[in-house]
Amino acid sequence: MNKTTIQSYSKIRICLIALSIALLSSVSCKKQDEKSGAEMEKAEAADVSASRWTIGMSQCNLGEPWRVQMNLDVKNEAEKHPELKVVFKDAQNDSLKQRSQIEEFINAGVDLIIVSPKEAAPLTAPVAAAYESGIPVIVLDRRVLGEKYTCFIGADNKKIGKAAGEWIVERLGGKGRVVELKGLMTSTPGQDRHTGFRDGIKGSEIEIIFEADMKWLEPEARKEMESALARFENIDLVYAHNDPGAHGAYLAAKAAGREEDIIFVGIDALPHEGQIYVKQGVLGASFEYPTGGREAIRTALEIFGGKTIEQEIVLSSRVFTKENIDQGGEWLR
Amino acid sequence: MNKQSRLTEKSVTKNALLRSPLLRAFAALVLVFLIGMVFNADGAFFKWNTHRDMLRHISVFAILACGMTLVIITAGIDLSVGSLLGLTAVLFSLFSIQKAWSPWMSLLACLVVGAAFGAVSGGLVGRFKIQPFIATLAMMVFARGMAKWVSGGQKISTAVLQPDGTYHYVEVPPIFNFLNSKILNENIAVVTLIFLGCILICWIILAKLRWGRYIYAIGGNEEAARLSGIPIIRTKLLTYGLSGLYCAVAGICQAAQELQGDPEAGMTYELTAIAIVVIGGTNLMGGRGGIGLTFIGAMTIGYLEKILSINAVGEASRLMLTGAIIVGAVLFQKTRR
Repeated sequence: MNKTTIQSYSKIRICLIALSIALLSSVSCKKQDEKSGAEMEKAEAADVSASRWTIGMSQCNLGEPWRVQMNLDVKNEAEKHPELKVVFKDAQNDSLKQRSQIEEFINAGVDLIIVSPKEAAPLTAPVAAAYESGIPVIVLDRRVLGEKYTCFIGADNKKIGKAAGEWIVERLGGKGRVVELKGLMTSTPGQDRHTGFRDGIKGSEIEIIFEADMKWLEPEARKEMESALARFENIDLVYAHNDPGAHGAYLAAKAAGREEDIIFVGIDALPHEGQIYVKQGVLGASFEYPTGGREAIRTALEIFGGKTIEQEIVLSSRVFTKENIDQGGEWLR
Repeated sequence: MNKQSRLTEKSVTKNALLRSPLLRAFAALVLVFLIGMVFNADGAFFKWNTHRDMLRHISVFAILACGMTLVIITAGIDLSVGSLLGLTAVLFSLFSIQKAWSPWMSLLACLVVGAAFGAVSGGLVGRFKIQPFIATLAMMVFARGMAKWVSGGQKISTAVLQPDGTYHYVEVPPIFNFLNSKILNENIAVVTLIFLGCILICWIILAKLRWGRYIYAIGGNEEAARLSGIPIIRTKLLTYGLSGLYCAVAGICQAAQELQGDPEAGMTYELTAIAIVVIGGTNLMGGRGGIGLTFIGAMTIGYLEKILSINAVGEASRLMLTGAIIVGAVLFQKTRR
């Protein structure tokens, strides 16, 4: 009898838990929407008085520093043009929330939408709806399906991975033992930075002696690098799919007193992260993965100016090394 | 007849041996250790450095698990530990790197914040009778939000943003380097010693103090505990507060090891902490368990991760193996009860 009461008690508990999670999230959604609704009204009021153009920007997830930087780039560029007013929304990694944000922008009648989608499929329809209603849409970084948008701006991870591979071949003189610390391999950036890199080192005598998935996370990278260090006496270079990964690997090597023997290479080159690591001499090189925020505002101005623009803009990126960082890096071919 | 009684006698001693949870937890650890001896990755498993690095890596999780053990013995759960770790890591970096407070002030402030947030959870659970799962879930969300708010969504590092948009670099405070270093001839990480200290404190509380007896009593039967005059609210407040304090300790260690405060730090760490407690053999229903078990649980999870890592096992197989081994270990502890 006691057991059944416990069981039914735990069932009730599970129901309660599920219910309260649902409640919690719906309450927070509602609050968010109300708030952004109010912000929108304010934005529109401001629009009448000062700015000529209102731009709605929907960011899929502000949990990542790179995306925080993207918003910052948009904001900084827009502030140079007093005729622009940008309304920012954060979809908190939720496709459906992002969908309703785009619908809100359509209803509010903004002049242009910038969207960095979480996923292609769920956002294709709302983006197309906005485009068909006559609002220009700039899609940033991740794609939507079909062709019903004004302009896609993004960088090519494969190209960056390949450039990193070629740089590494040159730096090591065509021969060496390399550790590859991969980003989440179920994500496209992780896959592209991997295949591009392998493409770049093809034909050389570079040997990948150890590879592990560090899921973009610094502590994971440190742990994996410790394993690599325990296993191999000679490591020439570490290629990590992002700068925090390369930094984690550096910390592991430093703890083992081997940081002088190894070159660390990362990707992203955010101003407050990778570029600083390069300046401090922690990383041998960092490859920029541009956010496209600045270009989005420039493209928006061209659209407002009535110019016709390309439907696809591939951003070029830079490599930062100790030699060139003070000159602002070097553009990749 | 004679044969039968001898059989029973034999199985009784066998049962008594197997009934000891400490011994069973230890058996699981030995099993994992043996797996490591077989799959030793060209002898990497036999180097002391591998073990030292495993101890360093698991320390932060294990510190969280210490506080979690006490909470779980009261038949509660603390889901907020990962977020509180993130919050205190950000605060510690902010105070000591960017605001250049003295290390003692920064340490004290972070410990107070951790304990206070934990105590709030304890108050919600004890005084307002909110389910521990819900109260600490809310705290988990709130503390993560606060970590992002305090840091502005950016990592707090040695690069300090100037008003004109450029970055100014400051030195890492010595306390970071101290916590991130190894002592005794480079043979053990400082964070591991902190973890051992946390274990010791928990052991004193559970084995020597009245507070420890209250914790077991509440977990065993809260109504009976209340009727026998045990101060339930105060005990819960203290226990969750201690868990929050340990989160701050872990957060400080995390920041020191990353040389920065990451507002995303500690995501899903609560699950690892719970796994450590449960794999050690502490009962999620409360009333039973101990800190020694958690120590063994931490070693088991730590070695498991290390063995998969030095053998460069792929992510997919790693997750499946970890899941299977956790179930195996828990089943092993359950069957012969």
